[in-house]
Amino acid sequence: MRETFSLAKIKYMFYTLTHPMDGFYEIRHRGRGSVPIAVISVILFSFVFSINKITASFIVNDTNPRTVDSLDNLSGVLLLYLLFCVGNWSITCLLNGEGRLKDIATVLGYSLAPMTISYVIATIISQVVAQNEEGFYSIIITVGTMWTVLLALAGIMIVHNYSLAKTLLTLILTIISMLIIVFIVMLLSDLVNQVYGFIYSIYMELLFRG
Amino acid sequence: MKKMRLKASPKALCFATLWKKIVITALSVCMLTEPAMAKADTIVPYDSYNYDYWENIVFTPAPYIPDNSVSGTTLGIGSFLNPQDLCVSPSGDVYIADTGNNRVVVVDNSLTKVLRVIESFEHDGQADTFKSPYGVCVSENGQIYIADSDNGRIVVLEEDDLSFVKTISNPTSDVLEDDFVFNPLKVTVDYADRVYCIARRMFQGIMVFESEGEFTGFFGTVKVNITPWEKLWRKLSTKEQRSRQQLFIPTEFTGIDIDADGFVYASNFDSNGIQAVRRLNPKGEDVIRKGENANVGGDILTNGTSDYSGVSTIVDVVYRDKGIYSLLDSKRGRIFTYDHEGNLLYIFGGLGTQAGTFTTPVAIEAIGDKIIVLDSYRKEMLVFTETQYGDLINQAVSLRYDGDETLAVDLWKQVLMLDENNELANVGIGKAYLTSGDNVQAMKYLRIGMSRQYYSVAYRRYRNEFLKEYLGVILTVLILMVAGIVFFNKWRKKKKGFTEEEEGGAFDV
Repeated sequence: MRETFSLAKIKYMFYTLTHPMDGFYEIRHRGRGSVPIAVISVILFSFVFSINKITASFIVNDTNPRTVDSLDNLSGVLLLYLLFCVGNWSITCLLNGEGRLKDIATVLGYSLAPMTISYVIATIISQVVAQNEEGFYSIIITVGTMWTVLLALAGIMIVHNYSLAKTLLTLILTIISMLIIVFIVMLLSDLVNQVYGFIYSIYMELLFRG
Repeated sequence: MKKMRLKASPKALCFATLWKKIVITALSVCMLTEPAMAKADTIVPYDSYNYDYWENIVFTPAPYIPDNSVSGTTLGIGSFLNPQDLCVSPSGDVYIADTGNNRVVVVDNSLTKVLRVIESFEHDGQADTFKSPYGVCVSENGQIYIADSDNGRIVVLEEDDLSFVKTISNPTSDVLEDDFVFNPLKVTVDYADRVYCIARRMFQGIMVFESEGEFTGFFGTVKVNITPWEKLWRKLSTKEQRSRQQLFIPTEFTGIDIDADGFVYASNFDSNGIQAVRRLNPKGEDVIRKGENANVGGDILTNGTSDYSGVSTIVDVVYRDKGIYSLLDSKRGRIFTYDHEGNLLYIFGGLGTQAGTFTTPVAIEAIGDKIIVLDSYRKEMLVFTETQYGDLINQAVSLRYDGDETLAVDLWKQVLMLDENNELANVGIGKAYLTSGDNVQAMKYLRIGMSRQYYSVAYRRYRNEFLKEYLGVILTVLILMVAGIVFFNKWRKKKKGFTEEEEGGAFDV
């Protein structure tokens, strides 16, 4: 199972949804996961999320369809995903985590699958519910979300070989590190902008004088 | 009459020659003088718009267009000076509180003829005058109530012969502070001659006087809402700091009106821009309904930092008919009209120096299909006349108020011809389809009208009908599918022989 894409690997993703402990262990130690499949899962989630916002029935959906931009959602979800992976990796590196960046990315991508599925089911269900029956809709989404959260938690725990308490601690630190990364990126982009502006103005000056 | 910027529809202008242009302009000017229905696409010096479900601004045809303006000079009684209040008597005469000139002017229904100018009245055998009369009101029993502000009294006169009836002054009560000076500003009277009065620096509510003139208490007090943040901030500050902080005082009422059932409509300034008018029942409880956007505070989009931004400053309210009432905003010179359910019907009006715009609007009244606004700085009354668009909405809402929703459908359909996305019209039509049993059409219109509640009713009925008709087919297909899957699995297993589950092998690499 060394190749990136194979039917077995895709099937394995669904295996991990119901057997997270064994499944994620295998991903870390026997290379049964695949980063591309995980990224596809994330992209799929963002699309399903946008589709839900646009097409979920009027009764359960209070979003103005004109304000939904699927590409915006996609870039947002992917950025958040990237940020979380890098943030978690940079923290766990310092805290004796065994997981590689690859494993973190795989585990997070795989654990988004229940949410994707629940959004699809909920969107279909929403077409046939009336008022007072929105419960069906929201419970499906809640269950999917809870499942995803539990999977992600278990996945990070197993990949790094952490205890639950340490996992939670690293998650808090991860969020802080994400904020720091955002801060540094903004600082850097501002700096680069200023340097660019400086060089550009010198260039213009030379152009006008020459 | 003042000359208005008034043209025929732009299309007509495109094709018209110069001659035709002149004829059309002349015709349309003539049209103004006639009671013929004004066209909604007339060019007006302000924007007409409404807020949709998403609280976005949707521009609409003009519901009202400027007709003319009436000042003291045109009436031939000398210019008004800082006039503050308007009132239409039950018989249709218009009373103007000409505050700066210490007089009350009465003009007839068409605002062309002065009926009388009340400058003094006979009181205890000698002539008495007013000092800054701020408010005026005529009761159903034919008595004029004048808030004689700087004299600290409300003067009551007979409408017929201006004979003196009584004054209401010096209210005494334990709840009033000893140094309280009574300066009545606005006044209104209900069918039982109870007097409701807004007084200067009176934050506790509207003052109520019984028919004999004794003060009985406050009415409709605006509760002060203190946010947790403000509470915490006050707790953290020292006593000295607290004494310098702004006091949490309820806002003063600004305008007052009363409907035929004795419900008092009182406008106030709301710094949150959510509720600028209260509908008070005889017990003084607010029973207003706030409608789809949960807002009866004028403009909803009030962002910005300029002088022109910020929440609407509602200065007066007029109850018109059939549950319809209008609010007057002095900040942006707009008139907001709501129905009894609190739905925003239309918005028009604006500040400016053109004819048909305001500088300092202070009071609003309605006579039939006309709306009159008193501008204290311009010292004139501006008259707005209903267009076809405004008329259709008013009529349809009136029919709904009376419970004749099915009769309103034709009107709503005409509204849709002028304003395709009008949510009220769509909901009105949708509801009619719902009662007639056409659920698919009802769903279509209620969806555009964003009425989740009624859409759901229509959808539920549609679903039940659908299930009743096709339940047999659906169940058969389902059973066949289940059976098919079961048989297919059996067949596959037979073919492969009995193997282990494929997913299970977690540990084989």
